[in-house]
Amino acid sequence: MADKFCMVVSEGSFDKAMMPLIMGNTAASMGMEVHVFYTFFGLKLLKKGVKPKLPGLWRIGTGMMIKKMKKVNYPGYDEMLKQAKELGVNFYACSTSMALMGVKESDLLEGTKVLGASKFLDLAADSKTTLFIG
Amino acid sequence: MTIPQEWLALEKDATLDAKGLMCPMPIVQLAKKVKELKSGQVLELIADDVGAKDDVPAWCNRTGHQLVGQEEEGKVFRFYIRIK
Repeated sequence: MADKFCMVVSEGSFDKAMMPLIMGNTAASMGMEVHVFYTFFGLKLLKKGVKPKLPGLWRIGTGMMIKKMKKVNYPGYDEMLKQAKELGVNFYACSTSMALMGVKESDLLEGTKVLGASKFLDLAADSKTTLFIG
Repeated sequence: MTIPQEWLALEKDATLDAKGLMCPMPIVQLAKKVKELKSGQVLELIADDVGAKDDVPAWCNRTGHQLVGQEEEGKVFRFYIRIK
C-alpha cells in the first residue's frame, strides 16, 4: 500500500496556496497518496477562480512574484492545481469552515470532498508524514 | 561497482531533458516519463536544478527504481535510472 501524506492548510495567501501543491505534487510523483485538508482562511483556496495574493504588505508584490515565476518557466497556481488533479492529489474542504465562511459546495473546485475533522484525522493517523501549512 | 558512464549512455532507452525546470518539476516530469517506459529500460535524466542532485536519488529510493549512474558536468546533472 502506498504511503500516505496529509497536510492541513489554514491560510489562504499565495505562499500557503503554492506550498501544499509543490509538496503534494512531489509526494504524488514519489508514489505517495496525498490528502490536503483546507480549513479557516485556507478554505477560500478551494473556491473556483481564486487568485491568491501574497500575505500582508507583500500583497502588492504578488504580480511581480508571478512575473518572476513565469520568467523562470515555473508553473503558476492554476497550472499546479491542474497538475495536482492529474496526479490524483485529494482535496478536502472542512465542513465547519464552510459553514463559518459561508462557502457552498457548489462554490468549490470540482473533485473537492467536504470532510469533517474525524475523517481527516482517521486518514492522518495512518499517514507516515503530516504537515501543517499555516 | 560503478558502471562506466559511456556504457550507460549507450544503453539508455529514453532521455528526459529537464534543464531549466525548478524543483519539483524535474521530479514530476520524471514520474510521468517513467510510466511510459517498460521494466528494465534505462532512462537518462538531465537536470540543472541544484536540488535535483539529492532529489533524484531520494525519488529512486522511495519509488524502487534503480539509480544506476549519476554524473555532474558543471551545473548539469545526468542520472541513469533503470525502471523497476
